[in-house]
Amino acid sequence: MSLYYVYFIFTFLVTIKISNAIEIPEKFQKSNHTNNWAVLVDTSRFWFNYRHVANVLSIYRSVKRLGIPDSQIILMISDDMACNPRNPRPATIFNNAHEQINVYGDDVEVDYRGYEVSVENFVRLLTGRVPPDTPRSKRLLTDEGSNILIYLTGHGGDGFLKFQDSEEITSQELADALEQMWQKRRYNEIFFIIDTCQASSMYEKFYSPNILATASSLVGEDSLSHHVDSAIGVYIIDRYTYYVLEFLENVHPNSKKTMSEFLAVCPKSACLSTVGVRRDLFKRDPSKVPITDFFGSVRQIIITTDPIDIQEIPKRKKPMSINKTKVPEKREYLPQFPMHLVKTTV
Amino acid sequence: MSKHDTKSETEEANRMWASASFVGVLIIIGLPLWWKTTEVYRVALPYDKINAFETDSHYISTELTVLANDDETAQEVARQIEKAFQESDVIKLKITKKIIPNKLQHLLDSVADEQEALEDVGAAFNIKKHNTFYVVQRKPLYQDVWVGTERVAFFRDIKACSTIVKVLEKWIYQPSVLIGARSEIADAARQVRFPSGPGYHVVLSVVHPRPQELKVNFNARDAIEDYIGSFVDELTELHNFTLKSQWLHLLDFDFEATEVPGGRVAGAERLPLLLTRLEERAATHVSERPTLNLALYVVPCRLAPLALQRYDKEIPPPVQAFMSPKWGGVVFGNPTPEECEKQVYTPPVNLIMGTFLSQLRKLLGITDKEAQAGARLEALRRAAPRAWERDALLRLRALQQLASAETSLRSLAKLLGEISNIVINDEVGASINLAVESIHRATEHMEKADLLEAHRYSQRAFLAAETAFMEPSLLALLYFPDDQKYAIYIPLFLPIMFPVVLSLKNLLLWFRGKPVHKEKTD
Repeated sequence: MSLYYVYFIFTFLVTIKISNAIEIPEKFQKSNHTNNWAVLVDTSRFWFNYRHVANVLSIYRSVKRLGIPDSQIILMISDDMACNPRNPRPATIFNNAHEQINVYGDDVEVDYRGYEVSVENFVRLLTGRVPPDTPRSKRLLTDEGSNILIYLTGHGGDGFLKFQDSEEITSQELADALEQMWQKRRYNEIFFIIDTCQASSMYEKFYSPNILATASSLVGEDSLSHHVDSAIGVYIIDRYTYYVLEFLENVHPNSKKTMSEFLAVCPKSACLSTVGVRRDLFKRDPSKVPITDFFGSVRQIIITTDPIDIQEIPKRKKPMSINKTKVPEKREYLPQFPMHLVKTTV
Repeated sequence: MSKHDTKSETEEANRMWASASFVGVLIIIGLPLWWKTTEVYRVALPYDKINAFETDSHYISTELTVLANDDETAQEVARQIEKAFQESDVIKLKITKKIIPNKLQHLLDSVADEQEALEDVGAAFNIKKHNTFYVVQRKPLYQDVWVGTERVAFFRDIKACSTIVKVLEKWIYQPSVLIGARSEIADAARQVRFPSGPGYHVVLSVVHPRPQELKVNFNARDAIEDYIGSFVDELTELHNFTLKSQWLHLLDFDFEATEVPGGRVAGAERLPLLLTRLEERAATHVSERPTLNLALYVVPCRLAPLALQRYDKEIPPPVQAFMSPKWGGVVFGNPTPEECEKQVYTPPVNLIMGTFLSQLRKLLGITDKEAQAGARLEALRRAAPRAWERDALLRLRALQQLASAETSLRSLAKLLGEISNIVINDEVGASINLAVESIHRATEHMEKADLLEAHRYSQRAFLAAETAFMEPSLLALLYFPDDQKYAIYIPLFLPIMFPVVLSLKNLLLWFRGKPVHKEKTD
């Protein structure tokens, strides 16, 4: 009888051992990022491309709602649809026909607008090689602990994405820019979404690690728009982004949805194009990665319990320049029209 | 031989010479010229020096003096310390042993107060020098080891050896933190402190959500000037600081507070959102330097007193405050019911600024000191950091900047190999050379224990490497990748090159003296 017990315990231990060995340890599945950034780009201008602005603002709305602060969202919109003279509802941008959600909202902070949205500025933003006088709000100030969400929308072809109406970024240039980011340790992980025609061609050349990429269509396929609003008169949103938004609207900062659910958000029956996914560069299993790793924001909070008990009130030695006595400046009004500068010919 | 033949021969010669001149212009002059003018301009870089960097072999020397009453104790203490730090490859101690002079020994044994004893040591030895530390024996000590604000640790007797070693490892030198600074992966301490940089802005924002209900007596400008100012004045060797203060009125925020006995508790998941809300209004990103945010949040009377967590058993801390790594700190000013009644709130300046200082120290890289058995760390009662903490910061930043500069240069060198259309102009070349040179000098100074100079050079190397890597001109050839080059040149040159290349065979035959065309026989 006791022998039976010993055997039982032994097999029990062995099974525990085996199941432990197979399971990937939790800490390798957990992300160790310390901050979240989002780069959202709409590359096309003109009124008939209204849907691209609606696309990018829909994503903007979601990431902001899920907690990424405006200072960590870089929004590039190449045309101002809200102020377009053709817009029958000025100062609004809607992403569905019933005009339920005004994605322009009341608090949209556009970082690059109009002709500032160029390939050069985009690559400079990613690589950090911006001119020295660029304000901090227009810089991607990421570090080795940053998870970045990159969303691009516009008109694309096999191996390129058109910017404005004049130039394009090739997949090779984009891959090189990401490699330069990786070499400078400017990211921890990147989630790359692109909603264009032949979108998957843009991520095929990536060679830097820790990138999960998804695209609205495969090479040779078009990415289609979802529906027209007859009041506005143009297509309102693209199919892929429409279903993405539908999914994201049900995500909350502490919901448990995973990236694999996100990647399956638009089946071919809904999108009419095949959603492409590239996961060979990504080390973690997308079905274990919570969606908030990219769409939400982490901010660690440490409660301070040890204030310094300052005994005597410090007095800073004031720099000498402050003690200078000020000579009151004489001020007077100038004549309204500088007639004294004009030589009278009379 | 007819006249016709000679005529055709001269014609042939002319034709051949013409074709040879085409070849000459196109292939001998044109091709090299084209090659030369379309070459990506790259300054010669010290690749061998960059590839020879060994980030993991950097170490810092530091001087330690053991002062004891008798020779035996000095020997034993020095031996124990040496043994403990032998294996550390990041910090090397230069230990000197001395017997305390009789006069000082008498003073140390008779003086009751540690602070006075410190002054006596300071009178006899130069404890103001950077990167030095004194371990001094003092008989009438209540603990094994005592550490104050100066570069001196007292120990009682030979039995305190193991405690001394622990104190040096955990408080004074912290080799584990230095290894974290040197490595490429961010350790826990590096995730809290701000990344290295030439300077920071420190912005104190007083957040007053309901100015119509409460008057707040707080002079933000004087507070930041006196408290934070006298703290950062001690760190001028490390960074430049710009101090600013501002008031933010009417910034409402819903804490989703729950009522508990004696006050309210803010929802834990709401606190990160408060930072976002503050960031929106504080407008700190207008400056180009990184900002250390300090915010005093005056809690509206209807919420006060607001706590950050529940304290059922334990005693609540004197102040409600939290910090966020690489961002800054928030302190809550809770007005008392009496103050709410009078509608005038006077925040306890000393306590609030003391909390900000405690947060600021962590954000700038001064780590918490864990309690060690048998050792006593005199609590800090002033704004300025301890002298040995400043040395530790200098060591930490010097190593981190050096490691970061080397990583930047290495990856730049690697990128140039990988991506062919990156231009390296003279300025980038100059800053790379400056960085390489500064790295070498910083390494020398580190090994010589000359900490201030080492830090200065490491900062220069770090900044030069950053400028080199982030130089906007590196993207000059963004619109000229190789495939586009061929797309332009092939339609332009191919139609001309075809006849030229085809004529090469005839030209060679003719030069060898063979007839080019067979004589036509009718």
